[in-house]
Amino acid sequence: MSEKIDLSMEFCGVRFDSPFLLAASPCTDDQEMVARAFQAGWAGAVLKTTSVEGTPVDLVYPMIVGLDHEDKRIIGLGNIDLISHHHIDLIEQRVRDLKEQFPEKIVAASMMAATREDWTAVARRLSQAGADIIECSFSCPQGTLGSKPGFMLGQDPRLAGEVTAWVKEGAGQTPVVIKITPQVADIVEVAQAVKEGGADGICASNTIPSLMGIDLDTFAPYPQVDGKSTYSGLSGPAIKPITLRVIAEIARHVDIPITGTGGASDWRDAAEFMLVGARTVQFCTAPMHYGYRIIEHLRDGLERYLRSKGLKAAEELVGRSLDYIVSHEQLPRDKKVVSRIDTQLCIKDDLCYLACRDGGHQAIELGEDRIPIMDEEKCVGCGLCLSVCPVPGCLHLEEVSDEKETTKGKAE
Amino acid sequence: MTEQSIPSERYVQEVEPLFQDHQAWLEASRCLFCHDAPCARACPAGIDVAGFIRRIKERNVTGAAQLIFEANILGGTCGRVCPVEILCQEACSHTELADPIRIGRLQAYAWSRGYDQLDIPAPEKDSPGRVAVAGAGPAGLAAAAELARLGHRVEVFESGHGAGGVLRSGIPAYRLPAEVLERELGLIERLGVTFNWNREIGRDLSLDELRSAGFEAVFLAFGLGQSARVGLPGEDLRGVFWAVELLDRMRNDAQEREALVGEMGRQVVVIGGGNVAVDTACSLLRLGMEKVSLVCLEGPREMPAFPSEVSFALQEGVELHTRSRPLRIMGDEAGRVTGLEGIGIEWKEPGCFLPQNAVSIPGTEFRLQADSVVEAIGQRCPADILETLQLERSPQGLIQVEGETGRTSDPMIFAAGDMVTGGATVVQAVAGGKKAAREIHRSLQGTR
Repeated sequence: MSEKIDLSMEFCGVRFDSPFLLAASPCTDDQEMVARAFQAGWAGAVLKTTSVEGTPVDLVYPMIVGLDHEDKRIIGLGNIDLISHHHIDLIEQRVRDLKEQFPEKIVAASMMAATREDWTAVARRLSQAGADIIECSFSCPQGTLGSKPGFMLGQDPRLAGEVTAWVKEGAGQTPVVIKITPQVADIVEVAQAVKEGGADGICASNTIPSLMGIDLDTFAPYPQVDGKSTYSGLSGPAIKPITLRVIAEIARHVDIPITGTGGASDWRDAAEFMLVGARTVQFCTAPMHYGYRIIEHLRDGLERYLRSKGLKAAEELVGRSLDYIVSHEQLPRDKKVVSRIDTQLCIKDDLCYLACRDGGHQAIELGEDRIPIMDEEKCVGCGLCLSVCPVPGCLHLEEVSDEKETTKGKAE
Repeated sequence: MTEQSIPSERYVQEVEPLFQDHQAWLEASRCLFCHDAPCARACPAGIDVAGFIRRIKERNVTGAAQLIFEANILGGTCGRVCPVEILCQEACSHTELADPIRIGRLQAYAWSRGYDQLDIPAPEKDSPGRVAVAGAGPAGLAAAAELARLGHRVEVFESGHGAGGVLRSGIPAYRLPAEVLERELGLIERLGVTFNWNREIGRDLSLDELRSAGFEAVFLAFGLGQSARVGLPGEDLRGVFWAVELLDRMRNDAQEREALVGEMGRQVVVIGGGNVAVDTACSLLRLGMEKVSLVCLEGPREMPAFPSEVSFALQEGVELHTRSRPLRIMGDEAGRVTGLEGIGIEWKEPGCFLPQNAVSIPGTEFRLQADSVVEAIGQRCPADILETLQLERSPQGLIQVEGETGRTSDPMIFAAGDMVTGGATVVQAVAGGKKAAREIHRSLQGTR
């Protein structure tokens, strides 16, 4: 038998049996659903954002629109959902029930409020109900603090810090995690502010305000609610690069634990989130698309990856990629790279030629057999041809140590 | 036939080479990952097909191999020899959108890339019980592996000198490279299964001897090792062969293949319409025969051979003479085969493809020139072996078993595979072996 790999992860003093959680979302808005997810193997779940009794939650339908790309469905997911219509009285009981039924699983609860009293009171009730973590949504795009619509608490560092402190007042020993929005000029400023406010951790990050698309027949944008539309929160694979940057920036500049969410689909994405600083990874779009069962593949994939890298625990991944990130000015500029082709793998679609001709430096010519010939003097190594080539591994960039090594008009 | 080694090379050259990494990834990316995937439901061995395809897509190929291995100890073989067009690929939901996912090739790929990094449970050290498995073909191997996984001590008794059954001696090399079987046998041994060669239950060892030796249960999986004879005039001429023996001779020995080519001449007629007949015909072409004809009672759509194999035979250049009955094998004064005489038939009762139902059509007599004739009309378990077992028989003369449990008329004897079905696929033998193993396990647990 292979050596045992430790997938468990500690976050804000709480121990998870793996880094994989369900994010606050329709996936976690129902007790039976969360129970099934735990049985399937998820380490924890953040219950969908609750609020004080009497808070109006006026849902509209439809509320979900996929962002498709050609034949691939859901490269992104847009939602105009609101917080949970279950208020704190139901949720605090749900927390108790789930903790009793699943003592080994982590039950986090997400919350939102409009007044200081409510921020503190709801936090206190969640803490007393036994929630392992209290997550605060400072970034629901449809939420408002009574000021302008669409305004998010997470966009005002001073306010965010203040509200964090109110939550901490009620939370007792329960760790408080603030879920921020990437829709800010300076994410580090926001992260620092909530840390100063007393946050134990940060959840990076919420969905991106987006317009999902337009119906060219009716001229109405998507989603269409009785002919009208509004901006959606975008999640899913499309926003992964945005999330990775947010996590990395916080991890590089602020000393605070991070739980990452926003675009992770499989174990590879999860590993990438962890490598830039997330300790746990939350999922919503992927289990909505493919079901809770993806947890088996997440666990198996991560475990085998760790073993293949000679690592013994998931912990060893956290933050490991951060030292590679420098500012643009600091990137080394003394090496020349050129694109080289494996003619055995080439399938002669010639998209690389087209991309270089119309979007690059005209460094690719086509032989009579349609096989690309790289001009290494013209080639600057921009990377576009690799990006369009449909065959993985056919094109790659290689360093040339001096100009003499380049080949003009010579195929590999 | 001077270049003997070249024909032999064509015979061992894989018809379907493995996917390269990027090809497998692209194909796996097409999968929809259905809920309660129809492909998995269609797999007789119960492999989590959508699961392993997902893992290929996620670049966790070892994890994919693990899922295959857990359901099917012969997953590498089945990925290559299963009639996927009528099993998982036929069930594939994608068939409605475009083409089915090429599941067989993905399975062969994942298994080959991951077989050496599997998590294999260590054998139980102190298992109380012993189970004997008779026959090291697909059903026996699958049962042995499942029993070992369930914690029993398993000993396999095989009449030959190596394991595999049809995998070793029946399936042509161009479909199933020898190393696949070797690797699968290695995995079975790591599960703790031990083998005894040249021990045939019923000849060298009786069931009573097994009982007194302390085996708590016996699983029979003899397969069908004996060729049926058409009963044609001329069968005793030189140049008449039987498919089972012929496939065995071709399979594992390049020198034997060369000798065969010398013995058989240039033109061959194969009699029979099943997979064995088609495998034989295609193998002979690949060995270098100039002309191979196949004569069978069934029409092209009635042949029991897999449709994909019939198409393959046509592509290879086998000449099909369907709805034809062989009448006699012709020979010269030296006692050597010169050809086959036959006649066209039609069916008396529609849908019944037994010889008794075939009516010869006067005026459609034909003669095919041939240096050799191969009979491939069916295989059976030798009658004397079945007699010595003293178990209840089915109306077809096979061992009677209870549903899918594999239970025979003797409470400690179970059976599955071809000797019970009369001849089916490798994956069905695997499924039969697994189910019988679980039934044996339940039995033994109940009695302790």
